[in-house]
Amino acid sequence: MAKSFKRFSKTLLAAATALTIAGTAHAETLKIALAGPATGPVAQYGDMQKIGVLAAIENLNANGGINGMDVEGVIYDDACDPKQAVAVANKIVNDGITHVVGHLCSSSTEPASDIYEEEGVLMITAASTSPTITEKGYGMIFRTIGLDSLQGSMASQYILETAKPSKIAVIHDKQQYGEGLATVVRDGLTAAGVEPVMFEGVTAGDKDFSALIAKLQKADVDFIYYGGYHPELGLILRQSAEKGLKAQFMGPEGIVNSDLAKIAGDAVEGVLATAPKAFDQNPENAERVKAIEAKGEDPTGPFVFPAYAAVQIMADTIKAIDSTDAVKMAEYIKANSFDTAIGTVKYDDKGDLTESTFLVYELHSDGSKTPAQ
Amino acid sequence: MTEASLYLLQQIINGLTIGSTYALIAIGYTMVYGIIGMINFAHGEIYMIGSYVSFIVITGLLAMGSFALPLVLFIALLVAMLIASTYGWTVERVAYRPLRGSNRLIALISAIGMSIFLQNYVALSQGSRDVALAPLISGSVLELGSLETFEVTLSWMQLLIWVVTLVTMTALTLFISRSRMGRACRACAEDLGMTNLLGIDTNRIISLTFVIGAALAAIAGLLLGLYYGVINPFIGFMAGLKAFTAAVLGGIGSIPGAMLGGLILGVTEALTAAYFPSEYKDVVAFGLLVTILLFRPTGILGKPEVEKV
Repeated sequence: MAKSFKRFSKTLLAAATALTIAGTAHAETLKIALAGPATGPVAQYGDMQKIGVLAAIENLNANGGINGMDVEGVIYDDACDPKQAVAVANKIVNDGITHVVGHLCSSSTEPASDIYEEEGVLMITAASTSPTITEKGYGMIFRTIGLDSLQGSMASQYILETAKPSKIAVIHDKQQYGEGLATVVRDGLTAAGVEPVMFEGVTAGDKDFSALIAKLQKADVDFIYYGGYHPELGLILRQSAEKGLKAQFMGPEGIVNSDLAKIAGDAVEGVLATAPKAFDQNPENAERVKAIEAKGEDPTGPFVFPAYAAVQIMADTIKAIDSTDAVKMAEYIKANSFDTAIGTVKYDDKGDLTESTFLVYELHSDGSKTPAQ
Repeated sequence: MTEASLYLLQQIINGLTIGSTYALIAIGYTMVYGIIGMINFAHGEIYMIGSYVSFIVITGLLAMGSFALPLVLFIALLVAMLIASTYGWTVERVAYRPLRGSNRLIALISAIGMSIFLQNYVALSQGSRDVALAPLISGSVLELGSLETFEVTLSWMQLLIWVVTLVTMTALTLFISRSRMGRACRACAEDLGMTNLLGIDTNRIISLTFVIGAALAAIAGLLLGLYYGVINPFIGFMAGLKAFTAAVLGGIGSIPGAMLGGLILGVTEALTAAYFPSEYKDVVAFGLLVTILLFRPTGILGKPEVEKV
């Protein structure tokens, strides 16, 4: 008797366990992975994405979730390192998550996107602007931010039509994002018959740019386009100011960051940058801005609202097709337009936005920015 | 002077500045190697810790206000040297001494582990982001040439780096060549076992070399921190690698070699960046190392040594 009860108790236990597992599966939580740098030198950008995504998720949950499902954001740290990004992508797939907002750095997004495409995971990046990510013709990969090439051609157009400098140098950090942009800017200038006097790379993570600055001074340049991120440009600006190099600097949205002013101080004043439109100043986003500020977070980062929009697109799609199947969602996203925090979003066949979301801004030493004249 | 020679002069000034700091860090590698024949890969992290400590002290003192800048820097220097030395001493006690006498590879792996530990420890306790300090020392001592063509500038900060390095190196050379402890250091470098037999506490001497190396790295940490104004927990790796290269270039185990190696490496980097695309800077610097090792395996000033293993 005792023996048979023992056996029975095991069956009971197994049944209970099975029920519990089925129960959790039935609790209808939609998990969205946030992939991006939570540590490392560009962790600020990961924060911007987190702020945007979590604000969007909280808003959804406060309004009853998506079709009754609660939404949960799960953070994965790729440290903006391509190797770690691949590991993170595999982990997301293993964890059974099929909706990803991220990654941030183009060099991380690209290897990760291969995995998502193969495993049928929907990925929307709010920050990666390298054209090569969508050039492979993937079906599952989207962005809520314009392309490098758009930003680059916008910069070269601004240089040619508004700034009109006499000698231009194009510097980049030899990384996919920076060099890609710098190449587009150089090609844009060359196509218009303006040949940059210098086109050179620096090493990301380097601290000493005195040799480069002396070279720029010798070449007598009055305009420098820098393709890269803020840590290197901050040091270049600071050391240029110390060495008395007087030239107009311009960069992509990767330099738009309050840390740039912390590193370079007053030297930041007047630096130009192409950046996503300041969506936090859009009156339609006033309530969202208020909600983010109420949590003590900063809504002004360039990736906050693109990240917000990425969640909105996912939520709207799930509502419309009443399914969380990532492949079906991707098909729907390509075929329809969405009303989001970054305006009306429509995609071309590659998963790129049909409209540019960038503007030329002037940066200030207090960390703020205003649209350039 | 012509524009070309002014430009060359400027690049040499830049190279000597960065080279001086390489030399300061390289001393730590070379002294430790000279005595116990191991490469202390955690040394770059000691430099990073020195940088952090000096940033914390400077920010703290400036926030309290009413201190003269030279005093602030002096206090920061002392505190950074003290704390970095403590780290240097502790690292040796914890990670290397128990392994001394075992296979060299084991100590090397322990050093790499220590390096990763320290890096992550600072990243977790201080945050992994860039920490910036506003420029404290600005302006230039010397301006040559004219603004229209090319102007050579030697900034106060660069001069400070030169002077501090020169003073430190002179003091170190005097200490090693004149003092009793210095003589004991030289004896240990020559033959550790024999020195021990002659009644010198070699453990103390080994600790001392770690402390001296760490203190010099902290000086470099303060100087470079002020010069660039930005630090993060990962700066130790590249700085350590460059300083190690400098030490090998000059002849590892030799103190004048480390000084010379640092300066040569710094000037080579600056000149490469000056006359070639600057992305080739590291290619040429490390290419130089390979070339020297091919033709002169002991480095420029290194003595050919009987294999100790």
